[in-house]
Amino acid sequence: MATSSRAAIGFIAAVLVAVLAGCGMAAASHQVSDRPAGTVAPVRGTTAVPPVRGLAVRPAPAGWRRAALPGDQAVLAYPPSMHLVSGDPGTVSAAQLSSSGAYLMYLNATPRQGTESLRNWPAFRLRHLLDDDASAARLLAQSRGVSFAGGTGSCIVDAYVTKIHRHHYTELACYVQGRTSASVIIAAAPTAGRATLPRALTRAVGAYQTR
Amino acid sequence: MPPQLNKSLIVVALLGVLAAGCSAASTTHAPATHSTVPASSPAATPKTQPAPSTQPPAPPAAPPTSSAPPPPPPSSNAIPQGNGGDHDADNNGGPSDGDGNI
Repeated sequence: MATSSRAAIGFIAAVLVAVLAGCGMAAASHQVSDRPAGTVAPVRGTTAVPPVRGLAVRPAPAGWRRAALPGDQAVLAYPPSMHLVSGDPGTVSAAQLSSSGAYLMYLNATPRQGTESLRNWPAFRLRHLLDDDASAARLLAQSRGVSFAGGTGSCIVDAYVTKIHRHHYTELACYVQGRTSASVIIAAAPTAGRATLPRALTRAVGAYQTR
Repeated sequence: MPPQLNKSLIVVALLGVLAAGCSAASTTHAPATHSTVPASSPAATPKTQPAPSTQPPAPPAAPPTSSAPPPPPPSSNAIPQGNGGDHDADNNGGPSDGDGNI
């Protein structure tokens, strides 16, 4: 009897340890890094971080087109394979569409409209996605202190699923604070198997100019 | 009651408390939800479509109580889909733009 009781206690203790370990792993999977500067850092516990090498500040390649926000608050550069598409008043959007009209690449620049800031951008963007367009959103990476021409930014990479049609997109979304204005630049593409972004989109983000 | 049995009961109770605490803690990370479903189609078409019912499933049922709990309040900034909100592409299954409030 005493032996069986000790065995039972040992079994329960082992289960307890396993539960505690699982709880810790679950919490860790939701942790987000908070690096002050540099390249976009992957969130611990995630693996499929899309390439963001093009984030370095670089002028747009020759042949790219440019579209400015009202008042020249910011200038969005986009490759010739993309064209301007309609969007909210006061914003600029460019897209590359398939022959069936599906989005292949998408860029958008929008002046600051709400309470977004360099500090709250990661949480703000994910919350807004879930409030607005997405049934699910997953943070893949984030970085603060990202350099832009004319300012500094807070960027995230995330993957989300739209409420309409359940389309899967991966986006690089940056809040950029300039000297006199603040704006948001979004670069998005369909998620195909794993979360990646076309190099042209990260290059466009790196060429984003603010003032 | 044998002392070993008492100890077992104490450990089981502790296990239950910790499991409940762990479950409650995991629900506080709602903003970063996970979706591992592969893309069913490559991208959205910028066309107006009716709103499908793609809301996430309801949370697990609470323990029995004397009356059913009230439904959670809607988000203060929930944008109606199906060409709702500001009628732009992201309210129709397209990529989300950078607007901050609509």
